[in-house]
Amino acid sequence: MSGIDPARVLSEVSAFLHDEALALDERRWSDWLDLFTVDCEYWVPAWKSEDEQTSNPGRELSLIYYGARAGLEDRVWRVESRRSVASAVLPRTQHLISNVRVTGSREIPGVSGAAEIDVRCEWTVHQYLPKERAVELFFGRYEVCLVRHPEGLRIARKKIVLLNDYLPARIDFYSL
Amino acid sequence: MKDPAELVVDAVDRGIFTVDRAVFTDPAIFELEMRHIFEHTWVYLGLASQVAAPNDYFTTFIGRQPVIVMRDATGRLGAFMNTCRHRGALVCQRRQGNARYHVCAYHGWAYGSDGRSKTIKDLDTGAYSEHFLADDHDLVPVARFGEYRGFLFASLSAEVPSLEMHLGDMRFFLDLVVDQGPKGIEAVPGSSSYTFRANWKLQLENGMDAYHLTSTHPSFMNIVDRRNAGESANRLKSLDFAAYRERGGFTFDHGHSALFTPNPNPQVRPLFASIDELRSRVGEARARWMLNTRNITVFPNLQIAENASLQLRVMRPLSHDLTEMTIHCLAPVDEADAARDFRLRQFEDFFNASGLATPDDTTCYEDCQSGYGAGIVRWQQGYSRGIMSVQPGSGPIGESIGIEARTHQMGAAKVQDETIFHAGYREWVRLMKAGLARDAAGATS
Repeated sequence: MSGIDPARVLSEVSAFLHDEALALDERRWSDWLDLFTVDCEYWVPAWKSEDEQTSNPGRELSLIYYGARAGLEDRVWRVESRRSVASAVLPRTQHLISNVRVTGSREIPGVSGAAEIDVRCEWTVHQYLPKERAVELFFGRYEVCLVRHPEGLRIARKKIVLLNDYLPARIDFYSL
Repeated sequence: MKDPAELVVDAVDRGIFTVDRAVFTDPAIFELEMRHIFEHTWVYLGLASQVAAPNDYFTTFIGRQPVIVMRDATGRLGAFMNTCRHRGALVCQRRQGNARYHVCAYHGWAYGSDGRSKTIKDLDTGAYSEHFLADDHDLVPVARFGEYRGFLFASLSAEVPSLEMHLGDMRFFLDLVVDQGPKGIEAVPGSSSYTFRANWKLQLENGMDAYHLTSTHPSFMNIVDRRNAGESANRLKSLDFAAYRERGGFTFDHGHSALFTPNPNPQVRPLFASIDELRSRVGEARARWMLNTRNITVFPNLQIAENASLQLRVMRPLSHDLTEMTIHCLAPVDEADAARDFRLRQFEDFFNASGLATPDDTTCYEDCQSGYGAGIVRWQQGYSRGIMSVQPGSGPIGESIGIEARTHQMGAAKVQDETIFHAGYREWVRLMKAGLARDAAGATS
């Protein structure tokens, strides 16, 4: 932690998370993908019971699990292809991020100024479905590992805990 | 109430089969479906592996009625109505667990895992009548409970054939699922439930609908193409609908049906990793059947889809225009890590409200339900493909696997047969007519 000012790091990662949320809400999918490293892990665990999520994506079911950004790129391609009726009329989404905490940070040896930062925060997404004229709400917790690259922060790992997993007919990356 | 037979026109000999849209939209018909179908035939409850140990339990529903499935201390399975005999509270609050006793949280009546009444709180000071004391206070069991190779079913009516007779040779297709691992199959930990705002029979049909694939799922098919062509960096291999050449389907008595497609790319199935073990254990023919793409419906609430991965889905109608789905990924017990990982990624890629295919299906169901608002349009035109090629009986392929089917339709995959849906509607009519006859007899007696 030496040499890293906690208040500055908190302010920096909070701004990053807010930017990520806004990229989703403004449907700037390409900007959003750029926030992830190529080999990032993106994981939305399923639930095993009322209280316990799945913890091993190699042996247990997830709602979404990707070991690389390519999985997210497929999803963005699908939406942009206009060939998926599920996203023919997109929800208007609003991400709110709160309770941001830096839970750890490590300098990356041998790379000047580089660091990994562990962040946790709470999130809600309100979304309005123009076709159904209905409102949906999703909420949970993000557990994110950020890496500092020369061009800024990137997401190396994002675990999305979705607390209300009794799902409506559709849920995709832009609602999480 | 119209005669249910008038809601389904079944005249295949004249080239006609159609369904009145009222079966999807009329709340009164939904009410009758719950009483005469879901509460009067065998309904799928879950897997025996979900209650593997003594005193394990899970809760579910038969139609609208809450049920507990429990294994008692001696290992015997039973299914009971999940309602305290005293004032009716749910006796069991949780989806699953292990408990020797279930104590009602309201007034403390306790039941064993065999459903028997264990204690009634303060019984001795209750100034109860002899009539009360002589009464049965056990949890009410379902009328019939049965297991076929780990698939658990129950009926709230005793007037049903044996489970074996009810399933008939659908058992062949259930065997193809169970026998995929030397130690059987299990539901992978983690499940998902979602709802769609449409009638349950839209899922019943879609699960057997080959015709929708190229029009509902072009984005999924394009993504598979892009991966195969290296245009997507995602290396996940998956099924290729466009490669299908032949397809066949069977219908059975009691509403069941099975659809199969010889898979031109069986190597993209997680099961392929154990093909040698499979061949030596079940034989070449059954191993090939296991690698076929297969979709089966066990009427009225169970579907198993073996295309991407292996999915078990349970339909729970909530109202005429709202349906709950619970889905599980099935896998051989003790599957190797690489195959399990491949299976999970394929499953998540395709299925679930968060997958790349299911949401397109459910969106179409909801669009259908909205379209039924056009109430002056009465008859569906969606049961006619294949009507000139469907044949009675099992046919040569059915005979080769020793099954007795009601109809079969085989040939070019492009037929995209819709006669496979007829079985469900024939059973729907049979059960509804029987129910209305019971009601009429009750009303006149």
